[in-house]
Amino acid sequence: MEHKRIAKLLAVIWSIVAVLPLFFGSTNFIMHILIMCLIWSVVASCWDLIMGFAGIFSFGQVAFFVIGAYASAIITAKFGIPPIFAVFLAGVIAAGIGILVGLPCLKLKGAYIALVTFAVHMILEPVLKGGIGRAIGTGGSRGILTIQPMNIFGYTFTSSEPVPYFYLMLFVAVICSGIILAVIKSHWGTAFLALKDAEEFASCLGVSAFKYKLMVFALTSFLTGVIGGFYAHYVGMLSTRMLGIDLFVTLMVILVIGGVGKFPGAIIGAFITIAINEMLSPLGSFRPITLGAMVVILVLLLPDGIVGMFEKIFLKKKKVRSLN
Amino acid sequence: MLIEIMDVIISGLINGSVYALMAVGLTLIYGVSKAFNFAYGSFYSMGGYIAFLLFGVAYFKNYLVVFCLAAPVLLVFGFFIEKLLVAPLRKRDDWEIKVMMITLGLALFLDNSYQVVFGARMKSLPSILEGAFEVGDFILSYQDVVIFVLSIGGILLFRWFLNNTRTGMSVRAVAQNPAGAQIVGIPKEFVFAATFAISTVMVGMGGILLAQKYFVTPGGGWNILIKAWVITAFGGMGSIKGGLYAAFIVGMLEAFVGWQFGMNWTLIALFAVLLTTLAIRPQGLMGKWG
Amino acid sequence: MKKTLSLLLILVLSLFMAQGAWAKGVIKVGVPLAMTGPYTDTGDNYWKGIKMAIDEINEAGGLLGKKLEPVRFDTQEFAPERVMQGADYLCGKLKVDSVHAGWAGWGQDVRAYGKYTASFFADDGSQTAVDIYKQNKKQYNNIFQLTDTGINQAKSMFNVLMALPYEYPNKKVVIITADDAWGTEVGDTLEKNFKKKGWKVAMHELVPYGTNQWGPLLTKIRKIKPAIIHVEIVSAQEVITFFRQFMKKPTKSILSYGYSLVPREVVGTMGKEADGIIGEVPTAMPTPEAPTPEAQAWLKKFNTIWHHLPQAGSWAAYSGVKAWAAAVKAVGDEKAHDKINNYIATKGYKGETGWWKWDADHVMRAGGDVPIAHYQVQNGEMVAIFTDPPTKPYKNYKFQVPRWIK
Repeated sequence: MEHKRIAKLLAVIWSIVAVLPLFFGSTNFIMHILIMCLIWSVVASCWDLIMGFAGIFSFGQVAFFVIGAYASAIITAKFGIPPIFAVFLAGVIAAGIGILVGLPCLKLKGAYIALVTFAVHMILEPVLKGGIGRAIGTGGSRGILTIQPMNIFGYTFTSSEPVPYFYLMLFVAVICSGIILAVIKSHWGTAFLALKDAEEFASCLGVSAFKYKLMVFALTSFLTGVIGGFYAHYVGMLSTRMLGIDLFVTLMVILVIGGVGKFPGAIIGAFITIAINEMLSPLGSFRPITLGAMVVILVLLLPDGIVGMFEKIFLKKKKVRSLN
Repeated sequence: MLIEIMDVIISGLINGSVYALMAVGLTLIYGVSKAFNFAYGSFYSMGGYIAFLLFGVAYFKNYLVVFCLAAPVLLVFGFFIEKLLVAPLRKRDDWEIKVMMITLGLALFLDNSYQVVFGARMKSLPSILEGAFEVGDFILSYQDVVIFVLSIGGILLFRWFLNNTRTGMSVRAVAQNPAGAQIVGIPKEFVFAATFAISTVMVGMGGILLAQKYFVTPGGGWNILIKAWVITAFGGMGSIKGGLYAAFIVGMLEAFVGWQFGMNWTLIALFAVLLTTLAIRPQGLMGKWG
Repeated sequence: MKKTLSLLLILVLSLFMAQGAWAKGVIKVGVPLAMTGPYTDTGDNYWKGIKMAIDEINEAGGLLGKKLEPVRFDTQEFAPERVMQGADYLCGKLKVDSVHAGWAGWGQDVRAYGKYTASFFADDGSQTAVDIYKQNKKQYNNIFQLTDTGINQAKSMFNVLMALPYEYPNKKVVIITADDAWGTEVGDTLEKNFKKKGWKVAMHELVPYGTNQWGPLLTKIRKIKPAIIHVEIVSAQEVITFFRQFMKKPTKSILSYGYSLVPREVVGTMGKEADGIIGEVPTAMPTPEAPTPEAQAWLKKFNTIWHHLPQAGSWAAYSGVKAWAAAVKAVGDEKAHDKINNYIATKGYKGETGWWKWDADHVMRAGGDVPIAHYQVQNGEMVAIFTDPPTKPYKNYKFQVPRWIK
């Protein structure tokens, strides 16, 4: 998709999202879901950037999210740093770990990278619960149950009044999507495409796979870590239960629905997936069954997700028009 | 002390044999078709549930009969899953990631279907062989012996199949050089589906074998998938021999770390060893690139 | 493109809106429980108790002439935002008048539901939840715990272990617990108590869920030869595999399973094989013979509805609904949440075994008419041998020395 069209599409999406509180502002429950949609849309977009664009099968996105959340909560509690700064420090920490994880991955391929990054996810739980975690201040298996709410210029954002926090998160999400768009647009994006399609040829031309891949690890884990911090200060409590399989699968479904490597797709996917998930929730076990079946059918029928489908329709129309 | 170490070694060996059986199927699909199957763990549970169903029917209270009946069911199931879900994706770009996604969706679907059909509670199967033999202070249950023998036997049988049958040889040919294999007239598409089906049978059989010791639960396949994944990567994806070595190394590692440092450290130690290995040999112990 | 987008938007909006239908003459009751994922089974046990209570009330003409309508919410794996979402959905959006949970978030739930006023019943058994309650008793006035904390349950387990009519051959104990909040709470308390009594805690091991190869640990245990092994992992697969592998070459140790004896499959799968294991159930109705005729009738009724004996939690959750209903009846208005909460906190509720009284921390402390029951598996069934506190033998049931010690 052309970059201008992505920008336009983003503008449309965000302006629609921005007016949603007019309809739902009074219902905390729905506002809460919308805030979570914003948070997941950023996480999923980052995942899409690393997996869809850079072609690195990183499965550690949830882990970086949780690392960011814990880091921000611990930094505010231990060093008395205001949440708004702590969130960025958390991003830096997540980025640091991202680089550490990225380093061994650069030599690896496909399913190996998926495994190594997923290993971070798997190890995180025993580490956070165990002696090391407790020494840092993760509260072990009890988790952290008191986290300072977000506070900017003396204004406190609390989860009982979600509308201000919604706009704060929207602001963050807009900036994150802007950054991702800028990356795709810049020569990074071109380099990724080149590396993904023909790595050997691209490196012959002087595109450094090492540099770009490490940079994308750092950037996506930074953004994911930051948004994790915002999550921590919003929900006000943390536990290792976020590392269950449910969240991981939900993010995967978001990408399937939105389309892999179809950038604003992940954002649309987040809103649709979370909405469907909530509506199916009263069905109990039939929710994941339906979700699973949906993934299977969508991958087969809509290989590029909703955005891909629109693109196809759009291109067809254009062709028809030009033929006429 | 000697008895203790013997105990630990035995538990490492038995675990290793189980892991080997689990990993062989996964490494096979990856080696032949470069597809990663996220529903592998769900196929494992499926084996257990099929056996549970068969044991519910009065005529089939015998493991030999259960194995003989379950194998063709799993074979057909695996074949059609590949034909219907994986094969159509092969021609698309980014197909590797799409196969991961579709099999993840399938896993979600299957695991929760088990829960709806069989309930959340675990199901148990009768023990395959009761009793144990003792040599001094040393005890080995027949159940463990059976698991060890059948796992290793299964793998050997499978090796024989790969080396000595026409289908097996075409599987190896496709794994080594898909384009070349097609030129000499090996039906590539059929081989892909057949490999998938065989790996489904292997993991499903493993599921039955282990269910009589460790039970069947709807989400129980995840642990198996992760272990098999680690072992295949460790041994080199696509290398059956590598997988075999890796399985026993992992089994021993777990047993010794659990004994000396505690159970909570096994996972961390496992990944530490895996990362070090991959940092030195990115293709795993015995894997090849390409 | 804009057209399709707006269409999509309308679709999403209409789906959100569709849930707003309102019925009159109905009292909504929120039931947030795990309906998917690894906690499904425990969620199911609580649901059976809650459903039974609601049906009973409705069959008797409802509450204040209105029918009770349960609204279920799937808490999945208790991720923080999921717990919060449940509270905002049930209390904030649907405005239910009471919430009946089981395992509900081990403290996360107190924060989430404390924002609202509808009575909230949880079965967390967690000291963390109580600590949070104490931070702001006024705000969390609607939170009620149906069971005592892990710390007190562990003390009770210790007291009964010491009271067993059995001479321990040595003073060595091995403690194995899951690495979750419940397991560590029980494990740490037990260790403290054993040490105080001059026992040696020869091994205290945390294990992750899913552990089923116990060879390395059993190797160590066989060397230690402890007088007591306490296992606290609330999941059938782990504790059954432990027992079977232990029995290959048992040491002369009392096997204490604490709350891990609870999953029905433990006794269901092993039957007489499990004879000799001891364990506990808090807020329990002792079986096979209940303490009062009313309780016996309740057991029979539960059995006819669900075709099995109640598991831990079923009766507690049932009693939570009944206690709330009694308070509503006394207050006369289901919307007067504060009055109802105060009524429950001060007056309590008379159940099948006697009085339920919540303490100043809104915890249903063990003791009185609702003690912790300690069981031993005998002849393939869980048999109450002690109640605590105070520690006393239950009726005529006797502790039997396990077969692997004789």
